[in-house]
Amino acid sequence: MLLAYKTALASPRIRAAAIEATEFPQLADEMEVWAVPRIVVDGVPQWDGSVPERVFLERILAAAFE
Amino acid sequence: MRELLAALERPVELLVAHGPEQTPLPGARDIDFGAETERIVRELSELSERLSVRVEQEPPGFERYPAVAVLPAGEDVGIRYYGLPWGYELGSLIGGVLEAGKLESTLQPESLERLAALDRDLAIDVFVTPT
Repeated sequence: MLLAYKTALASPRIRAAAIEATEFPQLADEMEVWAVPRIVVDGVPQWDGSVPERVFLERILAAAFE
Repeated sequence: MRELLAALERPVELLVAHGPEQTPLPGARDIDFGAETERIVRELSELSERLSVRVEQEPPGFERYPAVAVLPAGEDVGIRYYGLPWGYELGSLIGGVLEAGKLESTLQPESLERLAALDRDLAIDVFVTPT
């Protein structure tokens, strides 16, 4: 979660939200949240689990240019 | 906690957004999520003079409620926590506050370079659970 917040702080292009899955079950179902943390970029589920900073950056930027 | 928050290098505002909440699942905890969120955020803010709290009803820029926005130096840079920040996830909110309180990003220089090249808007949602 912290990496997402850090990227939002570092880039005016990025916004980052933590969403408590048990409190928003409909949305969690739509995003097929079976494990946490589940990372979703622009409404498209990407991956589950914590990853190192370099990998996080690679993955969100790859998602941005899909 | 107070010691951690003493590291804030600039003011950080926490905006608690109340609004119509989703009906909790049957059998879910019998908690007023909005009131509890506000209570937790107010308690947190009492731990540092650099932390302040604002509470609003359905402010613009929020997708669901309750929510907390972390505003470094009062500026909305798009940091949100949706839901009640309790248990393990209180740590996520506090981590966001600590980072927002820094004058310089703690990301690696290479990461900052890559982010600087980003030429479109990006919304990252991270689904979390308190346990």
